[in-house]
Amino acid sequence: MTRIVEIPASLDDRSFEQFAESLAAGDPGATRPLFDARGVQWASPYGLVGLLTAGQAWQEARRERPLFTIPAHDDVARYWARAGFFLHAAELFELHGKVPKVKVDDHSDVLLGVTPVRASEDVHQVVGMIQERASRMLSDKLGLDAKATMGFAMALSEACQNIVEHAGTGGWVSVHAYSYRRRLGRRVVVIAVSDAGVGFRKSLEGEQARRYGDRWSDGAALEAAVIQGVSRFRDPGRGQGLAGIKRYLARWEGKLSIRSGTARIAIVPAWDEDVPLTDHLAYFPGSQLQVTIPASQVAE
Amino acid sequence: MMIQKISVDRVLREAVATPYRDLVTRATGAAVRVGIEREMIAADCLTTLLDFSAVGLVDFSCADEVVAKLLLGQALPAGRHVVLWGVNEDHSEAIDHVLRRRDLAILVLDDGAGGLRVLGRLADDPAAAFGEVHRVGPLDSPALAAALAWSLERAASALDTLVILRLLRAEDSTYRPVPIA
Repeated sequence: MTRIVEIPASLDDRSFEQFAESLAAGDPGATRPLFDARGVQWASPYGLVGLLTAGQAWQEARRERPLFTIPAHDDVARYWARAGFFLHAAELFELHGKVPKVKVDDHSDVLLGVTPVRASEDVHQVVGMIQERASRMLSDKLGLDAKATMGFAMALSEACQNIVEHAGTGGWVSVHAYSYRRRLGRRVVVIAVSDAGVGFRKSLEGEQARRYGDRWSDGAALEAAVIQGVSRFRDPGRGQGLAGIKRYLARWEGKLSIRSGTARIAIVPAWDEDVPLTDHLAYFPGSQLQVTIPASQVAE
Repeated sequence: MMIQKISVDRVLREAVATPYRDLVTRATGAAVRVGIEREMIAADCLTTLLDFSAVGLVDFSCADEVVAKLLLGQALPAGRHVVLWGVNEDHSEAIDHVLRRRDLAILVLDDGAGGLRVLGRLADDPAAAFGEVHRVGPLDSPALAAALAWSLERAASALDTLVILRLLRAEDSTYRPVPIA
């Protein structure tokens, strides 16, 4: 049997919850999912790496590829192709529909197409690739000080390392710039990182679960890691990555959101109205992180 | 030999065999630190200058592995010093952040007339004592106490803290700047 997993027409970190609910609905273990992207008109990098994560988790658990219908709108399918989505989706899904034959884009608002992260070398490659392009984008198009570039690459590096250090499996990263006029009225650069690994709760369980007792949950784990800087390692030098990302975002009015299991936490800047911590969401495998850097108001 | 200079960029290339100049990831940091420690043990110099001038990005995790753990490690016996050279503003920020988290500090040699400065966590008294030693040259506890109008115990405590952090060198009862040339 096949069950349809609906993908919202506009897939970003907020509408992602509709997708997660659809994925978790019914009897997920008994039926092969069909990810229906035919009606999708836009997807953020968070959406793209999240879709791959869902496919990866299913394949790793069931040893079977879920079905995937590609967007009907040609522009959308071409954008996803240029962002490198289908290169990796073809390994995870049984694709249905015509995949556009376009080159992965090196000269657009896709600063970093969908890129797998499995090992330390992948992080080196990602950081090496992004710096020149990020520099151009952050200073020329977002009007940020040149100092923002190094911090951006550091945040990207630390975000990717969370996969290598904690996930226990591979993941994905992508970086896009786009206009975020609906909520912010400015352009943004977005780093999206997603893995199908053990998640924050399991990763921290050995060190933290006893301390929290009955209150131990996905939300508590996220709070411990993101707010308190707790790591699963006893070494006091650990936990630097998220602390470093937060430090960078505080300087550039950026936003951090992390979803893991059934919870989502956000470090919310003044320009946004997101909820700091949300529990009892539909379960989604692994961890998903998004960093959003807005353009300076002067530049806009 | 008093002074040893190690190119961190060269050690990075030897350690990870990639064309990238960036010090990122813990695994890379650990490999680079092991390479640096090996060269330090072989040379057995009083001061090791770590040259960051050809290094691109340094992320927090790698800064912790390379710099903080080097200061905590076995390859650096008491009385030996590490001084960073060629660090830019971004390097400084990452290194300062990870050292503060571990209550450590390290010397940085700036180009030009900048002289030595400190990255990491340094309390007010040791910071004042460090400034005084670098202003007037080698001195002992009574001289520092007199110069800063402190008690002898306060002066001795500040100077000993600087020695423990490897930011000054103690010879008999005299405290000297770390040799860098």
